[in-house]
Amino acid sequence: MNAPGFFSVVGVVLAKDLRTELRSKQTLMTMAMFGLVLTFVFAFGFVADPATNKKVLPGALWASLLFTGTLGVGRTFAREAELGAFAALVLSPADRAAVLLGKMLGNLAMSIVVMVLVVPLLALMLRVDITATAAIIALQLLLGALGFAVVGTPLAVMAVNARFAEVLLPIVVFPLVTPVLIAGVKGTGIALGTTIGEDAWGWVQFIAAFDVAFGVGGLFLFERMVTE
Amino acid sequence: MKPFPIATALSAIGLFAAHWLAFDFVPMERTMGAVQRIFYFHVPSAWLCYLGFLMCFVGSVGYLWTRRSRWDLFALASAEVGLIFGFIVLITGPLWARPAWGAWWRWEPRLVSMALMVLIFCAYWVLRSYGGSGEGVKRFAAILGVFGAPNIVFVHLAVRKWRGTHPDQVVSRSNSDMRIALYSVLAILLVVFVLLVVQRYRIHKNAFRVRALRRRLSRMGAM
Repeated sequence: MNAPGFFSVVGVVLAKDLRTELRSKQTLMTMAMFGLVLTFVFAFGFVADPATNKKVLPGALWASLLFTGTLGVGRTFAREAELGAFAALVLSPADRAAVLLGKMLGNLAMSIVVMVLVVPLLALMLRVDITATAAIIALQLLLGALGFAVVGTPLAVMAVNARFAEVLLPIVVFPLVTPVLIAGVKGTGIALGTTIGEDAWGWVQFIAAFDVAFGVGGLFLFERMVTE
Repeated sequence: MKPFPIATALSAIGLFAAHWLAFDFVPMERTMGAVQRIFYFHVPSAWLCYLGFLMCFVGSVGYLWTRRSRWDLFALASAEVGLIFGFIVLITGPLWARPAWGAWWRWEPRLVSMALMVLIFCAYWVLRSYGGSGEGVKRFAAILGVFGAPNIVFVHLAVRKWRGTHPDQVVSRSNSDMRIALYSVLAILLVVFVLLVVQRYRIHKNAFRVRALRRRLSRMGAM
């Protein structure tokens, strides 16, 4: 039997996850609800005069991405673990890196949906007009969400083995995605004109470099990670 | 003669010597004054902290590829000792910065990357202490050890896109006494470092053995 091609496996895993998610909407709903709650937390915590709001928005956006992303990433292999399907997934002749990539993209898709809800809502509540810079902020958040997914997904796979996994995962993932957080908050601040600095593109490239480095590294290491 | 008591005695005497070197032997620095003397501990500790985390990286890679527990124990012991030296850096740094910069902390590449590195290895330590001791947790920790090292590079680059105020050279290269003191303290702390890593390695190895024996006993129905 021929092993299926790399990208067809990626597609199959991604399609399967999205389909089950669209049917149950478990993870997506909890993430979205948490995002909604967070916007209120940030709004009540930080709303002040318009100038301050504008300065607060980048931090609030990126914090929401990280917090909601943690929920999604933590559920990556939850369904497989519950039904014992993880062993089958690992034992299948499919390329394991392809399985991981499918999972990463699934987490990315989830983060995108949540951010599409959260970003306009936060901008509305903090009364910051982001329409002029929406494109670059969207690009930054997209790359940032990818960075979070490529670091968080492989660690979430490993966290299944640990006690207190749901508590340990953010402790482990947040320090590792700090470069993305620094670059994202700075870049968005520059885009909104609240942070002095070079053009926002430098930070976009920085996040892209992070995504490539840790994405490739994670896919490369995954084979070694899941082998018992 | 066993090497271990000798090394312990040497490092104990060495630590006294290190204090003499830093507080009496070296001349007073002209612009910074007495506060500069903290660098004879700060700088070597930072180097040893990096060394510890580099060793953790190597041990983690070794464990992922060979799955031999000695690599895992090596990574764990190195991370623990590296963490101790990291805390020394993070405590001595602000003590100097307060009089010299007028602030305990600055958002500066080397400070932030050191703090983040300590944070990552705190997470490593928390994981090892509370996450259980199964094989899966060791792999989890190894991934963290492998991901942690390149991460520091990114943090450093990110913060450098702002600008730096960290002094590059606090020990004059032209003053030979200062140089002698710095490298002597480094050598002394290196002995302490190696001693601690070896000791932690042995402790973890014994704990590992005890657990294995206990499992065997309980399988035999004796416990």
